[in-house]
Amino acid sequence: MKKLLLPVFILFFFILESLFVELFSPQLFNSDRIIVPHFLLVVLLFLTVYGGKKQGIIHAAIFGLLFDIVYTEVIGIYFFLYPLIAYFVSKTMQLIHNHLVVVALTSMVGIILLELGVYELNFLLKVTEMEFQTFLQERLYPTLLLNLAFTILVSFPLKRQFEKYAEELRNE
Amino acid sequence: MPQFLSNKRLIILLVSIIILVALIGFSIREREKLTWPEQFIKDTTGWVQSALSRPANYVAGFFENVKDLQNTYEENKELKARLDELVQLEVDVQTLAKENKELREILDNKEDLSAFDPVQAIVVGRNPERWHELLVINKGKQDGIQQNMAVITANGLIGKVKSISQFTSTIQLLSANDPTNRISAKIIGETETYGTIEGYDEERKLLKLKRLPYDAKIEKDQIVTTSGLGGVFPKDLPVGKVVEVVPDEFGLNQTAYIEPGADFYDIRHVMVVTVKTNTPDLSDISSEEEEEL
Repeated sequence: MKKLLLPVFILFFFILESLFVELFSPQLFNSDRIIVPHFLLVVLLFLTVYGGKKQGIIHAAIFGLLFDIVYTEVIGIYFFLYPLIAYFVSKTMQLIHNHLVVVALTSMVGIILLELGVYELNFLLKVTEMEFQTFLQERLYPTLLLNLAFTILVSFPLKRQFEKYAEELRNE
Repeated sequence: MPQFLSNKRLIILLVSIIILVALIGFSIREREKLTWPEQFIKDTTGWVQSALSRPANYVAGFFENVKDLQNTYEENKELKARLDELVQLEVDVQTLAKENKELREILDNKEDLSAFDPVQAIVVGRNPERWHELLVINKGKQDGIQQNMAVITANGLIGKVKSISQFTSTIQLLSANDPTNRISAKIIGETETYGTIEGYDEERKLLKLKRLPYDAKIEKDQIVTTSGLGGVFPKDLPVGKVVEVVPDEFGLNQTAYIEPGADFYDIRHVMVVTVKTNTPDLSDISSEEEEEL
């Protein structure tokens, strides 16, 4: 993958998240549960693991800031959490063998961390009054299911693309 | 096991936490307008979003049309039955409108709280993380949109304009849990009952209309509209129907649960409503008060 194309590629997933919630409303699945796509985070974590730690964390920070400004209008939460989780995942990958399945599962852990972090911060800021049990059942589990499905779909192509990208970086 | 956090990293972490708190504190307060970098970023991404969301909506619309075709026959039958009533209704509306105009002329009252200019807009994005219920539309300051304007769909009120940039603006839906988001509304019945819409019951998907007088008699299925008393929203925008009335925690007021007329999820086209009337001068109000005293 060309160096310049990478931000465009990630931007596509950034907008895909918003398109997804716009087009696939929860009523479509006949449930009142809240399903949150975290495609952007999955892509960023794969970039961190296969494309290089530094690249991953820098992109996580940039797109976290973009996410805050464009979608939530509370600047700081994703700007802080995305790079932190990317860092955490890259550290974990040093400890365990980075097999594709392991990376996919670690991204799930990353999503859980993000959801928990955002929930706690929003609870502190009084954006939500949802109770923790409701949060788990109505939001976290269905969200994990959706993102697991997404990760299974894209993990192999993502790995190949980012490895090619890392190769190009090394050759330069 | 390698050391998880070295001293340098610990310092970076602490500094970034300080920055985080500062940034959140800066952005969460009530802001009159966004800073220019934010506006620039919002406009740029808004442009990309609308370029992508149009074809996506087109494809989704196609599948919806196919689904609609299935019940065309039934719907057609029902609509034909309604058409007969429509002619009578149209005549009534015309006479009433004419009468209303004449009466207004007699009263020499040109201003009307329910008059408004709608600005049509397309939804280009939605906040994916669902904590803040925000939409992005493709009209901004250049199209005459201002902060706090009401936003409606064909079925009723959905929210207000939260922030604007030059070519896009952000809408906060009524389903957002924001204590500062209050809308003056009334229940239409034999007598009108006034209250304010505050908050949203997430489990039951119902709006809460609070501060209704304790002795008001409210029945199920009565219609709720905006009252125009806030001065920001025009009068008579439909909101929804009453589902249940309960006394509030202290028994001084009543709270009505309202089923919103508009769907808060499947939103493609919206109208931003601008009030035509001028807000009254403060001097007028204060002089009246003095007279009363």
